[in-house]
Amino acid sequence: MTHVSIKSLTKTYPGAPKPALDRLSLEIPSGDLTALLGPSGCGKTTTMKMIAGLLDPTSGDVTFDGRSILRDKPEKRGVVMVFQNHLLFPYMTVADNVGFGLKMRKVAKPEIDARVAEMLALVQLPDLGRRRPSELSGGQQQRVALARALIVRPNVLLLDEPLSNLDAHLRFEMRDLIRALQRDMGITTIFVTHDQEEAVVLADRVALILDGSLCQYAPADVFYKRPADEAVARFFGGHNFIPGNSTAGTFHSTLPPLRLPDDARTGSGKLTFRPESVRIGAAPENTLTTRVIDRIYLGTQTRLRLSSGDNVIEAVLSPDLVEGLQPGADIEINLPRQSLWVLE
Amino acid sequence: MSDRMRIILLLAPAMLVIVVLFFGGLAVGLMRSFNYMPVIGLTQPNLDAYVAVFTSREFYYSFLLTFHISFTSTLISCVLAIGAALLLRRSFLGKSVLNFLFQLNLTVPHLVGAIGILYLFSQSGSFARLGYQWGLIAKPADFPALVFDPYAIGIILQYVWKEIPFIGVIVLANMQSIGTDYESVARSLGASRWQSFRHVLLPLIFPGVLSASVMVFAFTFGAYEIPAILGQNYPAALPVLAYRKYTDVDLAARPEAMAMAIVIAILSALLIWVYIRTSRRSIRG
Repeated sequence: MTHVSIKSLTKTYPGAPKPALDRLSLEIPSGDLTALLGPSGCGKTTTMKMIAGLLDPTSGDVTFDGRSILRDKPEKRGVVMVFQNHLLFPYMTVADNVGFGLKMRKVAKPEIDARVAEMLALVQLPDLGRRRPSELSGGQQQRVALARALIVRPNVLLLDEPLSNLDAHLRFEMRDLIRALQRDMGITTIFVTHDQEEAVVLADRVALILDGSLCQYAPADVFYKRPADEAVARFFGGHNFIPGNSTAGTFHSTLPPLRLPDDARTGSGKLTFRPESVRIGAAPENTLTTRVIDRIYLGTQTRLRLSSGDNVIEAVLSPDLVEGLQPGADIEINLPRQSLWVLE
Repeated sequence: MSDRMRIILLLAPAMLVIVVLFFGGLAVGLMRSFNYMPVIGLTQPNLDAYVAVFTSREFYYSFLLTFHISFTSTLISCVLAIGAALLLRRSFLGKSVLNFLFQLNLTVPHLVGAIGILYLFSQSGSFARLGYQWGLIAKPADFPALVFDPYAIGIILQYVWKEIPFIGVIVLANMQSIGTDYESVARSLGASRWQSFRHVLLPLIFPGVLSASVMVFAFTFGAYEIPAILGQNYPAALPVLAYRKYTDVDLAARPEAMAMAIVIAILSALLIWVYIRTSRRSIRG
């Protein structure tokens, strides 16, 4: 169990006009599973490589249980990184791949064999030790890569896009396996992903990095309910941003006054709410009359674009609730108070 | 015209050259090595030439010398080429200039290189004279015999000088296509820098190193001109020995020359086979 502190970690590549990662600070509690989330090129993998010792930071520090690890060689940090494309050594068998870290530590052959068998059983591939990586499916390769990392009992496990190369049903299997192994072994785990769904389903806490800077670090649900700013809300699929003023628990804008939750900030800002939180019909408070602009059927959901004055509101609803609703029709909607949030 | 026919026709000119020049030459050489030359009335093939080759002590000395030249120059070239490729794959100031200089002698013919070695390293060459002028040696002849020497140092120097960039370019391209991620994985799994080279990078670049070194070995084993220019008279490298027999005033030595050429080809193939098998086991095992 290792507590990881990342302190003002910065990386500027030679000749680059701005840092690839700018003063990132995170506290990752022991045994936690944290996601570094952001689009491609935002500095996530750079962060992982600096923690693993594969890249030197320009400034800042990384400590494990209060001790800086930046001067330690990569092989002495107790950090193992699992890459997105698995990178199993193609000329070795599966068993040799899994036992690689132990062989490098000069562990005796019988012990390596025993631990490899145990680890392959743990990732549910007990009979594949003699195969070559090229004979495995993508999902199996991912499991072998995970087994190869876990066998050395690392203090910190780094996963690079662990689910993104897998198809839908394998993603769920792999997610459950990673969660189970991580909890059982209590390894502090950091993974990077560009996929918010992957971050939400897997992580205890999510660090959203945009353009090299940390935007918000919180449990996943907070990003939906209480985003730090408009960029965060947009990254998580937010579409509704209405400028106005928040005073005495009410938001004033070109919409009718809307009652806000108690913890909403005051002053000028933008009102935001999730498309999924829009309800059909009138309610005692926060009811609006809107006109349907268009309707997009998404299979399990229907997306509606509604106008209210100059404002456009996006709503995502169950298809049976809006059946027969045509563009141009007027409908009443309500916005539950707890679903509203005011951004700066 | 069918696709198959078109492919056959397109390949025909190249195949014609290979079949006529290579297999034709080989067939004629083989026939002569068996003392079979119907044109001059030799119609009873026999193994006399082979018996003469295998009972000659000179042949075995020459074989050992040739093997030493090929093996040593291939080994040294490979080690230095891999070292150079490891340095050149890093990014540093002036890399492109160094890369250009590294590959420069790929364009220089072997013969020119051999003459360069002769001018520089022989006992009457530039280094011997410099050594004498600076008082390091009492007379130029005291300069160590690096050319026409029993250990074939001059020949090996020439091959190493010429083959390092050849192997290096292949290995460098190989390393660049592999990237550094496999080594990063190895490091994070606890491998030291040396271990990640030995257990990960080396096996990954092995196919490239193997094909390049096989080419170098085969070439140096069968090449005539460098041992002819830089080698001592006795024992001479096998191709030199074969050529001498071929140009002997005694025409009866010709079948022996042909037998020797066939033996060189078979030995070269055999050694390459042994080399591929053993190196594959030791690198990837």
